[in-house]
Amino acid sequence: MDAGLLLLLQRIFDALTNSAIYASLALALVIIYRSTGLLNFAQGEMATFSAYVAFVLLVGAAPGLTGGSLAAAIGAPYPTVAAIGAAVVFGAIAGGVTERLVIRPLRETSELAVVSITIGLFLGVNSLVEQWWGTAPRQFPSLFPDAASDYLDVAGARLRYSAIGAWATLLVLLAALAWLLQRTRGGLAFRAVSFNRESAELSGIRSARTLMWGWVLASALGAVAAALSASSVLLEPKMMLRVLVYAFAAATLGGLDSPRGAIIGGVVIGLSQTLVPAYIPFIGFELSVLPALVVMVIVLVVRPAGLFGTQRLERV
Amino acid sequence: MIDDDWPTPMPRRGDVDRSGDYAVFAASPAPQTPGGAHQASATGSQMLEAPRRTRRGTSPLGWVGAGLLAVWLVAMPLTSTATQLAQNTQAMVMVLAVLGVNLATGYGGMISLGHGVFVAVGSFATAYAAADMGLPWAVSILAGAVLAGTLGAVVGLPALRIKGIYLALVTLGLAIVFQPLSKRFTAFTGGVSGRTVDAEMIAPTWFGTSRWSEGLYRYLICVAVVVMALWLVQQLVDSRPGRAMRAVRDDDTAAAVYGVNLTTNRLATFAASAALAGLAGALQVVLVPFASQESFPPQESLVLYATAVLGGLGSIWGSVLGVAIREAAAAAGSGLASIDGLGAISELFDLFDDERLLFGAALIVLTFVFPRGLASAIVGRARRRDA
Repeated sequence: MDAGLLLLLQRIFDALTNSAIYASLALALVIIYRSTGLLNFAQGEMATFSAYVAFVLLVGAAPGLTGGSLAAAIGAPYPTVAAIGAAVVFGAIAGGVTERLVIRPLRETSELAVVSITIGLFLGVNSLVEQWWGTAPRQFPSLFPDAASDYLDVAGARLRYSAIGAWATLLVLLAALAWLLQRTRGGLAFRAVSFNRESAELSGIRSARTLMWGWVLASALGAVAAALSASSVLLEPKMMLRVLVYAFAAATLGGLDSPRGAIIGGVVIGLSQTLVPAYIPFIGFELSVLPALVVMVIVLVVRPAGLFGTQRLERV
Repeated sequence: MIDDDWPTPMPRRGDVDRSGDYAVFAASPAPQTPGGAHQASATGSQMLEAPRRTRRGTSPLGWVGAGLLAVWLVAMPLTSTATQLAQNTQAMVMVLAVLGVNLATGYGGMISLGHGVFVAVGSFATAYAAADMGLPWAVSILAGAVLAGTLGAVVGLPALRIKGIYLALVTLGLAIVFQPLSKRFTAFTGGVSGRTVDAEMIAPTWFGTSRWSEGLYRYLICVAVVVMALWLVQQLVDSRPGRAMRAVRDDDTAAAVYGVNLTTNRLATFAASAALAGLAGALQVVLVPFASQESFPPQESLVLYATAVLGGLGSIWGSVLGVAIREAAAAAGSGLASIDGLGAISELFDLFDDERLLFGAALIVLTFVFPRGLASAIVGRARRRDA
């Protein structure tokens, strides 16, 4: 195969893990937006917190690790999968509690109030993470076999097991989500409330409680995204800042109310993050968040509904 | 896929008439007639006319606040060491940045979570003009404000189409992109580690040559600039363009019908608000001869937003109050943290020695208690505009 083409294939493979991360966080944002019309700016920070919980459960009592002794008291260190599973459950519960305590009472007041609340959450959680666990990056154990030789050879390019694992995780989550939404009563209620809250309430659905489940699902997805992200790079307090921009760009591109759009947007943004810096030297790795922002702005200006979203009509 | 059986939602937040969203938060419109702007809009062409000058109510608490401010302005420099004076002056000039957020968000209805970027640009531009080009300080400071304002107009371009929560999203993205982007312009920003500013504002010799009197000189300059800017903004928001700004905030379609040019109005508002933030950044360079992207993480922009909201949007004094709260909270936080010997409680207190946690918590609590911001509660202008 031509060397340039091979390099392109390799870069696409390299983008897969990030695509899965962005897609899952974008999906989390979409679930909340679709049901309530809110953008949760604190989604990334809440996810980071869950990733640190996973880390504490993985490591257990260690000098200078806040919460380590507490984790040891309940049996830590745990194996990787159990620790991450527990952290996802923790994140989901925290998401539900957050919704109940600070979002629900103000949901009907104004857009600005809810933006303020999520910004308050962002700042508070960000500060807690930094103060409890410090700003230094930490080595998070890899979730999938990640030795130098752990790859499939596809036409000369290396498809790493970790990329396959990330996508397998995402697909399992998608299947579970689809099952929840389409084969369970709760899912039916959730779809009804998203579709038309008033009608849903009139047919006896408790919309407030149903919407809380949206936050539970979204926070669980966010926690998975953060764990994937931490294991593919390093665990640090600001790791989800950029991921949040990528995820928002992915969600905007796909259409903020389209789950399918979130996945496809995640793939496109993930690819652009790897390919744009590779072919435009000025951008470089660190600035690869710039194209994502540009995509977000262009989509919002030209086609606010995104690729798969619902066109919004505004009545005057 | 999961989309298929999930029917397309019909009425969603974006569809509903949300005009008045910001009105809920804004303590502003001066019309003292009950009903304010809504009544005015009912009478058509009067909409942008100046309201009849009636007695401008200042509550007793407002006077107390003004008195405290005056006392602080005089007493602070007299009781501070040179170092404290510089720090307090730095805190004071941030009033301008908060006012910038307030102008865009509170008066213009354009939520900005990225004003830290304009502060940074003001800093870098002033540093470049004063140190690298050797321009006089007055010109350099102006250059900082103008460059930030120009950038604000560019950022304001998408704001012509992108509104509300989506604009919040874009400006947050801008705040996050800024740090890596600024590292690319090393000559201007000093790259990763920042740059020193090889220029110092020297007080005239009759002013004294001690570090303290140098600091006092800079303090007086900053007070003059801040007061002038506050006065100018007050004039602006009370003028016809200012009323147009609030009309656009409350209902842009209606404002356009009454002849407001939405493009000019939005761009000018965003540019002015960015210029204010840039001015704050410029004065920072006067006070501390160092500028670095490290000082402008996205969290700083969010704290600016929080300060503006806490003080009260749509009110000039709200921004002053916001900064006062920020400083008081920081002092209270470090006071709490210095309490030792209570075991777990002390550890909990230690956490509050960080303004982000304090501000995050305060923003959440106060949004519940005073959804219109603190200034409205104190100045007593909070009227039910939809009554």
